Amino acid sequence: MFVGLTEVAGGFQKTLMRVIGGLGETVWAQWDELCHAAAVIGTVLYVCVWPRYWVRTVRRAFVRQVVAIGVESVGLVCGVAVFVGITVVVQLAFWVAEAGQSQMLGPLLVAVVARELSPVLIGIVVIVRSGSAMATELGIMKIGGRVHVLEAQGISPFIYLVMPRVLAAAVSTFCLTIVFILVAFASGYLFGATVGKGSRDLLLLADTVSRAVRPKDVLAIFGKSILPALFASASCCIGGLGLGGSLTEVPQATQRALVRSVAGLFVISTVVSLLTYL
Amino acid sequence: MMNESTDILRFRDVTIAADYEHESGISSLNLSLAAGDLAVVLLEKEQVRFPLVDAAEGLVMPVQGMVTFLGEDWQMMAADRVTAQRGKIGRVFEGESWLSGLNVDQNITLAQRHHTRRPVQKIEQEATQLCRVFGLAGLPRGRPSNARWQDLQKAACVRALLGAPILILLENPTAGIYADVIAPLINTVCEARERGAAVLWTTNELQAWNNPELHATARWRVLGSPKCMIEEAKEAT
Repeated sequence: MFVGLTEVAGGFQKTLMRVIGGLGETVWAQWDELCHAAAVIGTVLYVCVWPRYWVRTVRRAFVRQVVAIGVESVGLVCGVAVFVGITVVVQLAFWVAEAGQSQMLGPLLVAVVARELSPVLIGIVVIVRSGSAMATELGIMKIGGRVHVLEAQGISPFIYLVMPRVLAAAVSTFCLTIVFILVAFASGYLFGATVGKGSRDLLLLADTVSRAVRPKDVLAIFGKSILPALFASASCCIGGLGLGGSLTEVPQATQRALVRSVAGLFVISTVVSLLTYL
Repeated sequence: MMNESTDILRFRDVTIAADYEHESGISSLNLSLAAGDLAVVLLEKEQVRFPLVDAAEGLVMPVQGMVTFLGEDWQMMAADRVTAQRGKIGRVFEGESWLSGLNVDQNITLAQRHHTRRPVQKIEQEATQLCRVFGLAGLPRGRPSNARWQDLQKAACVRALLGAPILILLENPTAGIYADVIAPLINTVCEARERGAAVLWTTNELQAWNNPELHATARWRVLGSPKCMIEEAKEAT
């Protein structure tokens, strides 16, 4: 009986150690990925201030990426913003009116829609729409030897492929967030005014919202849109360019990059919120 | 051959190990190319992934010895210097080498647009002239995936020769289109040599290697042994 208990305890201990070991391995792997992404972001931010790296091919690649990530996403973002405007903005307007707290509408809209919801939703849209394309495209280029071709022509893959993508993702995400906020507010107002569930005074709504915006809200929107975009695009570039085997690795690498990017989006959003408001 | 100080490319006792990108290595290779030189290297058909040309560009580092370009060891150059120096080299790549996100014309002119401030119009004019020399109707504009592979092979020659490179690396440039491309290629290579470029031409076609019109300054052949790969065959005329 005693021997049996010892064996069970030993087995439990081994399993526990295996779980802790596995957890530790995962944490270290994620830490390494984080350090790698931070190094890429740091290098991009350092390199991008030097005009000599902005040769015409790089400028053109940047513009192409802004169009692909930002401009081509405007329709989708506006569509999502209309639905958010109809559901969230109208409901907020309705419930604060019901509660007799109409003065709270502005702060609530800024806190819920502008500060918290918009950067996260836009981050997800950009990651799903552009991050996956980025990781796949770069993975195929790497495995197909096109990155080698660039290097052989004296074109640094970091300058020509990574820097434009990372910067374009950051700029585009911020701009899309602003578009999203404006469209969500506008559609919420229009829908509410049409169905008679909110204020019909546009100026009053604009005044309430603009009064509720504080500098740290602007800072939070800026940080919560740009930082996750930098992290996600760097992760996707690392995921794609880190491949070296066969094409069958591309979907797995893309999947890993997307999971990391989405996790990073929520972690960074939470950290920025805590740092800004606590 | 000219003396060491004027060498454009020099392999000094270079040994390169085989890796996952190159099936074979190089052992104790000494080779130099000065302005106007042309070395033709015959590869066995199986050895399509030989690290010679990559090593010439500093893309593969030797485990022993050094590869110098214009007197500078690739391993000792800073990253920015490496990219700038590679911008002076034109290359026909073995296998697929076209960026699918760019049109063929953009692919051809990419290095020139990246490394120089020449107006795009001038670059395109030069590229168009070269295209006509190689039998193309003009500068191909469509996506590489929509182009005929023969046209892409000719366009690869145009890309390698565009912008007066100081070193021209030709990896099997006549593959599949020998009859179409050999005459214009020899002519343009001769012109490049006359203006002071050095040329390293690898081929697995015996007729290209033996072609007397090339006026090669050195002919080399890769031996089958996995250890000692390359040997000078004869001094050219």
